[in-house]
Amino acid sequence: MSSPLEELGELQGKLTQSLQALQAASEVTFGCSEKDAVYSEDKLTLYRYRPLAASAKLPPIMIVYALVNRPYMMDLQPDRSLIRRLLELGLDIYLIDWGYPDGADRYLDLNDYINGYIDRCLSEVLREHQLPSATLLGVCQGGTFSLCYTALHPERVRNLITMVTPVDFQTPDNLLSRWVQSIDVDALVAAHGVVPGDVLNAAYVSLMPFRLLQQKYVDLLDTTGSQAQADNFMRMEKWIFDSPDQAGAAFREFSNWFYKENRLLKGTLSIGGQPVDLRRITQPVLNIYGKQDHLVPPAASTAMQSLVGNSDYLALGLDVGHIGMYVSGRVQRELPQSIAGWLQRR
Amino acid sequence: MGPEAITGDWAAAMQKAQAELLRQWTELGNAWTKAGAAAGAAAGAAPSAASGGPAGGADDIARHFLRQCEQYLGVSRSLWELLGRASSSTDNEQRARVFTDGLGGLQQQFANLWAATPFGAASVAATSPFNPGAAAAAVPGMANFSMPGFGMPGFGAPGVGAPAFGLPGFGMPGIGMAGFGAPGQAASAFNMPALGPTRESQESMQRLAQLGMRCAQAQLQVSGQWNDIIGKALRELGERIAPRLKSGGAPASMKEVYDLWVDSAESVYAQAARGAAFVQAQAELTNSLSQLRSGQRELLEEWAKQFDLPTRAELNSIHQQLRELKAALRR
Repeated sequence: MSSPLEELGELQGKLTQSLQALQAASEVTFGCSEKDAVYSEDKLTLYRYRPLAASAKLPPIMIVYALVNRPYMMDLQPDRSLIRRLLELGLDIYLIDWGYPDGADRYLDLNDYINGYIDRCLSEVLREHQLPSATLLGVCQGGTFSLCYTALHPERVRNLITMVTPVDFQTPDNLLSRWVQSIDVDALVAAHGVVPGDVLNAAYVSLMPFRLLQQKYVDLLDTTGSQAQADNFMRMEKWIFDSPDQAGAAFREFSNWFYKENRLLKGTLSIGGQPVDLRRITQPVLNIYGKQDHLVPPAASTAMQSLVGNSDYLALGLDVGHIGMYVSGRVQRELPQSIAGWLQRR
Repeated sequence: MGPEAITGDWAAAMQKAQAELLRQWTELGNAWTKAGAAAGAAAGAAPSAASGGPAGGADDIARHFLRQCEQYLGVSRSLWELLGRASSSTDNEQRARVFTDGLGGLQQQFANLWAATPFGAASVAATSPFNPGAAAAAVPGMANFSMPGFGMPGFGAPGVGAPAFGLPGFGMPGIGMAGFGAPGQAASAFNMPALGPTRESQESMQRLAQLGMRCAQAQLQVSGQWNDIIGKALRELGERIAPRLKSGGAPASMKEVYDLWVDSAESVYAQAARGAAFVQAQAELTNSLSQLRSGQRELLEEWAKQFDLPTRAELNSIHQQLRELKAALRR
């Protein structure tokens, strides 16, 4: 056993180093690739990223991100940017930034997001390229939206790529879903109108409270000696807690229809009065999931295979968790090539 | 290592460490405040996502960071002292027994730590993760006690002419709050029949008070769950460390003990959080807080309407109309 006084002394030293590094990290920035706003409506902005390589002559990709976090995770910093890697492979990338909904957006529902916003953004992409269809890349909740959109408008989607996307919302290992079953979501939305991002933050950290509320910060003492590590930590910290408020109606529908009633899996979901039949998805589907994902467990995602009406379905499981899917060095090296290769073969 | 090696020196070392933390934090906070003021003046606007600053600012991060460090010191100290006492025995069986028996004595301290931690209180141990922050202002018995509905801004404020709980000018009943800490008395007081011209308002206040009590009861249930989790986590920690003590070994550092504690706690929590009792307790707290929040707003709106002030209901009505107009335009 080491002397506690020695360890305290070490702790003091680490603390000083860490605080200095954190202080400097307050200037940290994120979003490393250049982009242009090509369409905006209400709070959302559709961006087109500037090319970094000669065109691979593949259909453009429109990224549909989740509503519950900010999409800059896809382009966090030069060595942690799926978007940047795809650009370097000559792909043409668009991204929907949903912005920060406020009280005026409380009545936006899933029909507004899926048949409204996504549809109009895709129209903009297709108009620009004079194409009848493009590739959708949906991430997490955005993947679920993309599945719904593709089932509702199959003629406008050439390929569908989903990342960490839940389809079965009631797998036994889904703790968040277990909790939501007993929550009166209608009362929650009635109380808040627009559900604060802090509600979601609290729910997510409550999944592993000792690690995420305490140990993570204690471990900083061992990891933030260098400025680069402190910068990385602060970027992640920013992203994790930079959670937009949620339009109440859409939140209520998503919680009730997907988590509590599992309508997508059961084939009973309708959006805007139209049934969402996943068997209408006959275009190629690449489903990327994290084998260690505690937010979207693998089984929640791979349930997709038996539901889509397509034999050209590939499930790609990576040995990472939910966040590792965006920032893991191995994923950064391998996933962009996998996506580009899969697209080129179709 | 015997207990004499850690007891006396620990107190001084802890004091020194805390003082140093405070000094560093103050320096950091000052620097950030200056930087924030300069940036704000330059931008002419509040920091935004585009500014690149962390959520809530670097001072929030640093505050959390320091709190965790302080808790780390506190938790590790207790465990370390216990380990010291256990290790002082020459008999390996006794070493393990002293340690595992001593863990039981730490339960309340750990439970309090989790209930009192700024993060924990706001989001886990003391409130519902689905309604963070609400309980701190809503649940009787908490450190920042503030009664729902009775501490609303403006009520009882000078110039408004309304006493804190009487509010005759607004038709509010004079509900006696003294009994709120005693559920039996309070329950009967809140169930009194409402009479007279202000009976509707009386009933609103009674409903709100009953919701407050429901929240308090839910809070007790959640706290009980957390107490169980902490107790089981400590037993789990004992099971992980005792075999090493029994074989003559011991954890090499405070950090190792701390990490073992976190592993034990997460392991126990992962099971408990899926259990029906925890899920039900948490849901009841969330659901009662939601209803309480809505009740508070209704009361506020009643008050606002008397001054012809805009209300959420009125604004919602306008949002609905705008939505319908936009839909009509798209068609």
